[in-house]
Amino acid sequence: MKKSNDFVYSIIVRVVFIIVALVIWEVAARQNLFGENSEVIFPTLGSIGKAFISNFTEGYAGISFWVYISNSLRLLVTGLAIGVFASFILSGLSMISRGFYHIFNLVVSIFDLLPGVALLPVIIIMFGIKEEVIILLVVHAVIWPMSRNVLDGFMAVPKIYVEAGTNIGLKGLSLLTGVYLPAAMSYIISGLKVGWARAWRGLLSAEMIFGIATCPGIGMYINQMRTNMNNAEMYATLIVIIIIGLVVQYGILTPIENCTVKKWGMSK
Amino acid sequence: MMEKILEVKDLRMVYNNTSEEKLVIEKMNLDVEKNEFLCILGASGCGKTTLLRCIAGFEKYEGEILVNGKKCATPGTDRIMVFQDFNQLFPWKTVEKNIQYPLKKQGIKDKAELKRLSDEALKKVKLKGYGHYYPYQLSGGMKQRVAIAKALALKPEIILMDEPFAALDAMTRNKLQDELLTISEEENCTIIFITHNIQEAIVLGTRIMVLSQGGEILIDEKNPISRPVSPSSKGYGELWNQLHEALYKKNKK
Ligand SMILES: Nc1ncnc2c1ncn2[C@@H]1O[C@H](COP(=O)(O)OP(=O)(O)O)[C@@H](O)[C@H]1O
Ligand SMILES: [Mg+2]
Repeated sequence: MKKSNDFVYSIIVRVVFIIVALVIWEVAARQNLFGENSEVIFPTLGSIGKAFISNFTEGYAGISFWVYISNSLRLLVTGLAIGVFASFILSGLSMISRGFYHIFNLVVSIFDLLPGVALLPVIIIMFGIKEEVIILLVVHAVIWPMSRNVLDGFMAVPKIYVEAGTNIGLKGLSLLTGVYLPAAMSYIISGLKVGWARAWRGLLSAEMIFGIATCPGIGMYINQMRTNMNNAEMYATLIVIIIIGLVVQYGILTPIENCTVKKWGMSK
Repeated sequence: MMEKILEVKDLRMVYNNTSEEKLVIEKMNLDVEKNEFLCILGASGCGKTTLLRCIAGFEKYEGEILVNGKKCATPGTDRIMVFQDFNQLFPWKTVEKNIQYPLKKQGIKDKAELKRLSDEALKKVKLKGYGHYYPYQLSGGMKQRVAIAKALALKPEIILMDEPFAALDAMTRNKLQDELLTISEEENCTIIFITHNIQEAIVLGTRIMVLSQGGEILIDEKNPISRPVSPSSKGYGELWNQLHEALYKKNKK
């Protein structure tokens, strides 16, 4: 009873906050704070709403907004998949070879310090401007934090699970998949969270710095809206970015957590 | 003539993972016969766990350990360990899956057969109906029961138990002792059971050993008291005194 009251309260507080924030926005937008062109710079909720819909119905320069979204997501998913897969392989190898562990640990520590965007010029000089460059950036964003977490997770696996595992005949790969992976699950999930967040930010930044004409993405769309002073569309695109973030968080990451560490009573 | 299931020959065990070497077992010889319930008593730190870990294959040692005449230096399903730590079950698997998983790795693929085996094992430890629970939903005593069920289902040559009931409250402990006694009488199994509780050793063991520092065997004899043992059984007091003295005398030095 107490708990459900708390829940209702938390919902009410949030809804009230959002309504107040929107009202303030709308009032401010109607004050023409930015002079005569204020409506363009600081659009009302109504025009942002309209832009939100027209984004999808009309797109820009004959290209549907869906194309921009799907391009961005395709690069993101490809990069994430490669990055996560590679970090499992490399962390797994680190568990097999002591020498490899030390080297990989060093490499992770160094590259984890480099923001992807800072690497962009180097990558562009080497590979030119193409979509693989963005995928590379996403891989870079996810592979180091993911590996760091997987490595830490593997190292933190209680000895008793490993011994119970070897006792029932697990060794090598079967020990890795049968004991180390599930036992390190809470670390793996934190790695995914950090990795995806960095990858998504890195991807949008890269798309804004250089749009790839053959593969236009959301970052590029915002830039195009800015150059055309379609500011309402710009704001509407920001909302889309937030929605994508929410979907990933609550549609993918939280369910993964719920059916693994939460269900197993293993959440940190 | 009894059948020797385990032979420990000239076992010597030194830990050298710290800066100085630590000699834990100097020289030990030990034979265990099939269907024996060997209880090993010993003061804390005398090397009981180390001995069991050597037999289980978790440690590197000098000398030989043979199961049915075959050398075994690495862990295997012929020697299943039941740890003292309650957290020995895989928390990511249900009780049932914890029991079935090792069987699956043994090559049993048929789902119905696996289910039958895990149900049977759970019934033996009085946990029928708890198959779909996750370990975190169980009490310490229940977790130890599952660990025993898991060991029983695998039908190992030897079950190694390292003070499995030491961290339990007295009531639960007595109950689990009773159950383990029943199981050991009904099943064909050989058990090495470590404890520092004299009563537990007398109640459970068909053979009782007292270990001292360096792996020296002070007492090693068949349990003369007929089952079921209670403090009023004939000879209980004498045996208790004898074991207590052996444990205590060496401890004082
Ligand atoms: N991994 C280890 N490294 C170094 N010394 C150890 C290790 N494990 C146990 N010891 C030492 O070996 C001795 C015997 O330990 P143990 O076999 O655990 O005793 P028991 O189980 O009889 O209480 C103790 O003195 C202990 O400190
Ligand atoms: Mg011990």
